[in-house]
Amino acid sequence: MGRKAQKNDSLPGSLDMLILRTLSLRDVHGYGIVQFIQQSSDNELLVEEGSLYPALQRLELNGWIDGVWGVTSNHRRARIYKITAAGRKQLAVETRKYAKLTLAIARVMGAE
Amino acid sequence: MESTRRGEALREEMELHVAEKAAELQADGMTPECARAEARRRFGNVGLKHEESREIWMTRFLSELGQDVRSGFRTMTANKAFSALAVLLLALGIGANTAVYSFMESILLRSLPVADPESLVVLNWHSRPPQEGSKEWVHVIHGVQGILWPGDNGALVSGMFPYGAFETLREENPVFSTLFGYFNGLTRNLAVRGQAASASAEYVTGEYFRGLAVSPAAGRLIDSEDDRPGAAPVAVISFATSQNRFGGPPNAIGQSVLVDNIPFTVIGVAPPEFFGVDPAAAPDLYLPLHANVLGDGGGAARMYGDGNFYWIEMMGRLRPGVSMAQAQAVLVPRFHQWVATTAKTDGERAKLPALILNPGAAGLGSLRRQYSKPLYVLLTMVGLILAITCANIANMLLARAAARRREMAIRLSLGAGRFRVVRQLLTESVMLASLGGALGVLFAIWAVRSLTFLFSKGQENFTLHAEVNWNVLGVTAALSVVCGLLFGLAPAIQSTRPDVMPELKNGRGGGPRRRAQHVLVVAQIAMSFLILVAAGLFVRTLNKLNSVQLGYARENILLFSLNARQAGHRDPEITTFYADLRKRFESIPGVSSATLSQSSIISAGHAGKTYRGTMKIGAVTIEGARVMTAGSRFLTTMQIPILAGREIDDRDQPGSTPVAVISERLARTYLGNENPVGRRITLVDDKRDVEIVGVSANLRNGGLKNEEASAMTVFVPVSQFSPDLVTYALRTAGDPLRYVKSVHEIVREADSHIPVKNVVTQAAEIDRTISRELTFAKLCTVFAVLALLTACVGLYGTMSYSVTRQTGEIGIRMALGAQRGAVVWMVLRRVLLLAAVGLAISVPAAMSASRLVKSLLFKTQPNDPGTMALAGVVLLSAAILAGFVPARRASRIDPLAALRHE
Repeated sequence: MGRKAQKNDSLPGSLDMLILRTLSLRDVHGYGIVQFIQQSSDNELLVEEGSLYPALQRLELNGWIDGVWGVTSNHRRARIYKITAAGRKQLAVETRKYAKLTLAIARVMGAE
Repeated sequence: MESTRRGEALREEMELHVAEKAAELQADGMTPECARAEARRRFGNVGLKHEESREIWMTRFLSELGQDVRSGFRTMTANKAFSALAVLLLALGIGANTAVYSFMESILLRSLPVADPESLVVLNWHSRPPQEGSKEWVHVIHGVQGILWPGDNGALVSGMFPYGAFETLREENPVFSTLFGYFNGLTRNLAVRGQAASASAEYVTGEYFRGLAVSPAAGRLIDSEDDRPGAAPVAVISFATSQNRFGGPPNAIGQSVLVDNIPFTVIGVAPPEFFGVDPAAAPDLYLPLHANVLGDGGGAARMYGDGNFYWIEMMGRLRPGVSMAQAQAVLVPRFHQWVATTAKTDGERAKLPALILNPGAAGLGSLRRQYSKPLYVLLTMVGLILAITCANIANMLLARAAARRREMAIRLSLGAGRFRVVRQLLTESVMLASLGGALGVLFAIWAVRSLTFLFSKGQENFTLHAEVNWNVLGVTAALSVVCGLLFGLAPAIQSTRPDVMPELKNGRGGGPRRRAQHVLVVAQIAMSFLILVAAGLFVRTLNKLNSVQLGYARENILLFSLNARQAGHRDPEITTFYADLRKRFESIPGVSSATLSQSSIISAGHAGKTYRGTMKIGAVTIEGARVMTAGSRFLTTMQIPILAGREIDDRDQPGSTPVAVISERLARTYLGNENPVGRRITLVDDKRDVEIVGVSANLRNGGLKNEEASAMTVFVPVSQFSPDLVTYALRTAGDPLRYVKSVHEIVREADSHIPVKNVVTQAAEIDRTISRELTFAKLCTVFAVLALLTACVGLYGTMSYSVTRQTGEIGIRMALGAQRGAVVWMVLRRVLLLAAVGLAISVPAAMSASRLVKSLLFKTQPNDPGTMALAGVVLLSAAILAGFVPARRASRIDPLAALRHE
């Protein structure tokens, strides 16, 4: 689809994992996910906000998350996402893959 | 739909996101505007992101569709026989609907090919019938040239007006930008560079082409300067005429032509798509209105001044912003005021015509009046056939759903959503329907051609040209999808019913499905009965028409028409000319006799120049007799027996004693047992007496359907009635059409300016007066066979299936001593029950629906008990036949095998 490189998404596919991880802790709406990722990474990871929604659509179609209309903490109508059982499995898979990958990179970097 | 809903949700979500971000930035100390702008900037391109998300679902949707289509294709190829049968039935059903719809589209829906047709209106009037309350004709109409047609409640409706009305309405018209008039100029003799051929003409006022907003293909069109008394005679020709007669539009401009021997100059060519204002006609020639005085003389000139002579037709173009209702409100009082001045008596004043405006976008309504009812009837029938087909396929799918129950159960248990499975099944049925639709279009193209042929059967200048165009294809595509959904939905829902699953596991039962199948079979039987009844009624009508006693020869007669007067022949030379021609035709080898008359006998009631006034024998007025002008040897050629005296022969010349031959019934009715020969008949309007010289056997003078067609005929010599158009009849050995070439040669030799028209055999001439009935009878028979076959296949399928299901039960019964006969009866009883329920529903429906086709029937009652009974018997026999095969199979069940299976 020729999308341009994502700003702070140095590891391709990691956005999905970050979303799943966020949702595995609590059910939040889109903006809440961005905030959570930023805060818990001490503002190291800046999610390109627009890319969040296509990602959410993709995850939902894959059956890993489920969005329902609800109300946010400041009383606005929003779609609140929650992780499904399949999503948890997927999170586990991705976490393992990610661990393997970072380990491999660390080995390469350490070998220098 | 789904994707729209999703799209809106996503947009709302994104808006919320930006708003929250802005709120946060604002809390950090930004101004509201800046915060909003910054939030948007950080978010990126909302539209693009939206697109990206949409792409994600679309890919998903398409890939699922691809899966469904592939799986549908696999299912179709796995059940080749079923798929082929379904596609074939659908192709017939959809094709028939497409064909009939093409006709409706071309006749009832298509607009005139002119600019802004929606602003055109046709002017008509309606009034109480002239003969209401009195036997005499009491009405402001003292003369007409054109047609009056019956409206609701016997009212008189027409589009013809006196010229004075046109002039009055044309003056300072506040609602029309243009008002223009025209009238049918009938068939004229058009000679181009010495070559004569007949051409249909339309007389038009100077505003005609401007009002229709038509631009010429070459030259210029008729305008107001051309349409006044004494203007130079000019003509506009149709595009086709310019090609056929001049070799292209530019060559025609400025050419001099002869119209009925009067010179006209061609000033322009109409555009190719233009056919005037009546879709039923396509004039070759447009002449200025006032030019009719040149051809038709003093009579025509009087038409302009006579306020009681109705002849000109009118159309108006509404000014921008004026509605038809507003225009009507303005014009009705104006017309009323004018028409009131033309009434001479209180009786006439009591039933003055009232103006009505009708939409003119589709042109005049003659085709619509003639064909709309037959087309609606046909559309209903093909609609029923398609419904039967859908019911049938739904039925087969229901039976097949049983075979696929394991597949469905597996899919559902593996976690496929029920909606997903239903969607897959629907994709399969829509695929079947689309294939059927595609094949149906091919069938429709063929059917449109054959239907046009059937409808036109021998008619010259047939202008009904239906075609399968984009509009029609769109409707067909929609129809296919709807059919697919219709016959696919019930089986799809049924076979994925979660609660059916456990029941299906042990293989018995299927109660709801069987009920659904029975409902579908009953529906098919009911609809088939309707079509059978319709077919029965139309076939009966045709039989009645064919059994009408003509009283004259139908076979081995060649008819053709000539008009020597239009080529410049005048009295008294014209009668010798016609008489000499007759002798020459008679000398053609193989022609045993030749004669001529005003027209063919079948159309004598309304065609040809003859005496139509009052007749008396002594002081007694003759009621219900027709005069027909005939040449020598008429009775011999038509094989009408001569009962007394002689027939009209060469002795009867323009100057000799005026004579007549009368038919037997006329003689019996008015002269009793007296010898009629030598008695005289007075032609009151002509102020002359004719002497009866012979008596002919009775014959049917006029159309087959015409109730008024009488057996009372007065033949008078064509030579004594100053003939114009005459129809020759040749009695031939073998196929009459073999002699056409000799006829053309003889006419060309005699006068090359006279075209030979309407060459047709007597049999075809008679058949074309009943072409609609012929078409209906043929089509409906085909439809009925199709419907019956389809319904029988459905019944057979259902019964076979239920016999298979009941193998165990039947086995037990037989083991307990049931006879084979009893088993057969058990199955047949159910068939008869289904058929009976179907009939019980459709007999009352047929009774009331058939009343709607009453006007299309002849000497046949809509609820004709014989036809109903026959249809019922045919249907029951077919049902029993369809049920008998499975019944016999049931009776052959081996109880041991059946029980072991259990």
